[in-house]
Formats: sequence, C-alpha cells, structure tokens
Amino acid sequence: MMNLTEKHIEQLYDFTRKHFVEHYDLQTELVDHLANGIEAKWQENPKLTFEEILGLEFKKFGVFGFMDVVENRQMAMTKKYHKLVWKHFKEFFEVPKIIFTIFATVFLFIVLKNATLNDIVAVILVLFAAIFAFFEMIKNQLKMKSQIEENKKRWLFEEIISSYGNIMVMAAMPIQILIHFPKFAFINNYSLLILSFLIVSYYLVNYIILKIIPSKTEEYLRETYPEYEISK
Amino acid sequence: MKNSQLYKGSLNTIIMKLLGENGRMYGYEITHKVKEITKGELNITEGALYPALHKLEAEGLLDVETEKVDNRVRKYYKLTKIGQTETINRLAELEEFIRNMQSIVNPKLA
Repeated sequence: MMNLTEKHIEQLYDFTRKHFVEHYDLQTELVDHLANGIEAKWQENPKLTFEEILGLEFKKFGVFGFMDVVENRQMAMTKKYHKLVWKHFKEFFEVPKIIFTIFATVFLFIVLKNATLNDIVAVILVLFAAIFAFFEMIKNQLKMKSQIEENKKRWLFEEIISSYGNIMVMAAMPIQILIHFPKFAFINNYSLLILSFLIVSYYLVNYIILKIIPSKTEEYLRETYPEYEISK
Repeated sequence: MKNSQLYKGSLNTIIMKLLGENGRMYGYEITHKVKEITKGELNITEGALYPALHKLEAEGLLDVETEKVDNRVRKYYKLTKIGQTETINRLAELEEFIRNMQSIVNPKLA
C-alpha cells in the first residue's frame, strides 16, 4: 500500500484552497477523499506522478469541481443554524421562560395602549433593535476579515454564527410593515396584542442570534466538528 | 452514474441503508462499497455524495466522528437514533416503489 506523505497532504490542502474551498472542515474531508482515491490509483499505476493522479481524481467531481459540494455544504449548515435559532426560540415558550415572554408582551401591550404617539413608540422600538443588530453585524464582519487576513483556519459554522445566517435580511421586514400599516395595528386590542407579541418576538430572535448563540460558539463548533479539538 | 436520473431519488436511502449495515463509514468508503455491491454498475459521484451526506447531517439523521488516520483526519458518518427509524421508513417506501414499478414494467411477474 502506497501511503501519502505529510507533504502530499499539505499539497492537497493547498489544492482545495486553490479550488475555492475556504473552510477547514470541508477541506479536511475532501483532502481525505482525494488521498484515498490517489492511494488506490497509485497502487494500480505506480508510474504516474502524484500530480497526474490528483488531476484524474479531481475530474471525478465534474466540470464545476468542488463548487457543488461547497454550495450545498453552505446550504446545509445554514439550515442547521436556522434549526438552532428555532430551538432557542421555542424555549421562550416553555416553562420557565414563557413567564418572561408573557410578561414582556403584556407589559408592551399596556405601554402601547396608553402611550401618546404609540405608533411612533412601536417604530422606535423596532428601529432600535434593528440598528443595534446592524452594528453588531458590521463588527463581526470586520473581525472575520482580519481572521481571513491572518490566514487562520476558518470554520463554516462559525462564520454562519457570526453573520447570523442571513436572518438579518428579515430585520427590515417589521420596519416595512410598521411604515406601511402604521394605523392598522392599533385598530383594536387584538391587533395591538399581536403587534406587542411580534415586537417581543423580534427582540427575542435578536437576543438569540446576537447574544445566546455567539456566547456558545465554542460549544456548537465542538458539537458540529469533532475535529475542532484535534486541529486547534 | 448509470441512468443517474433514476437513481437520484434513492441516493439518500442507499447511503442510510449502508450506514445501517456497516455502523460508521467515510465518504470514499461509501462510493467504494456501492461500486463493489453493484459490481461497478452503480457509481455514486463525489459531487452528489457529499451534498447528500451534509444534508442528512444537517437534518439530524447522521452524526459525525473524526479520527486521525495515517497523517490526515478522517470524517466518519453514522446514523443517529432518528436516522435509524427514518432508514426503516425510507427502505419500506423504496421497496414499495420497486414493487409498483415492477407491476408497471412487467405486469405478468407482479
């Protein structure tokens, strides 16, 4: 059996990087796959060079190379992230956290019911959360950029956590709703209660993706990537 | 892959069935095993295998383990508890599909 050397493995990592696989987790899996293929083929054709066999193995991935794998991996991990957000969100509707959720909703309802210019108060509340999230996102983007420049190992799930899995696209939605239907929500108590609940939910989602999940990043990375510990 | 369109819908079930039989496997091993069982008739392409594995993992049907083998890190996949139950369901579904196809393609045999 012809085994690849440490240097070959390094070469394979370089190869995946050159072919737009940016994250260490996926690089590692593809390196092992290529290495297995190369070892097997080398056994059959000992005369071929390492580079020649690598070329042949890479061809098996099709005309788009690693692109399909990379894209699908991104999608799968984003889905995993959304599931994680949802799991945390649901916790706010279970004992004991549900007490807080109900209390916050009722409290906001009373405030909005009694405040003068209550539609403006609602808009300001939503805007405040959105702007805060926006700044946090920029801060994380800058941090990510410096990590890339330092050439550190990059983990896809970590980057999804710090870019909030594109959930931020939705940040503009409540603002849009409030701008277009400012009076609609204040017609009666029911609609006002729904509005209060939506604003509380909006704060909860923000709190989950900006605070709770990032504070557990290490834990989630360890859970997602068993190799995280080895490679540190 | 031969007639890839026909096999496409069954790829996940094939992977899950293999993992159910063999405990834990890594990507290359799965393509190899399928080739071996079907005597080279069915060749799962790399571009299809990994997306399928990652999707099943994200859905919570597969779990991963890594191990240092030779001078590299190998990633193994295995079924989770939910994955095991789901495998049984999907296999039953696939078998029903095969039966139905059989009665359409070859009514006399069915």
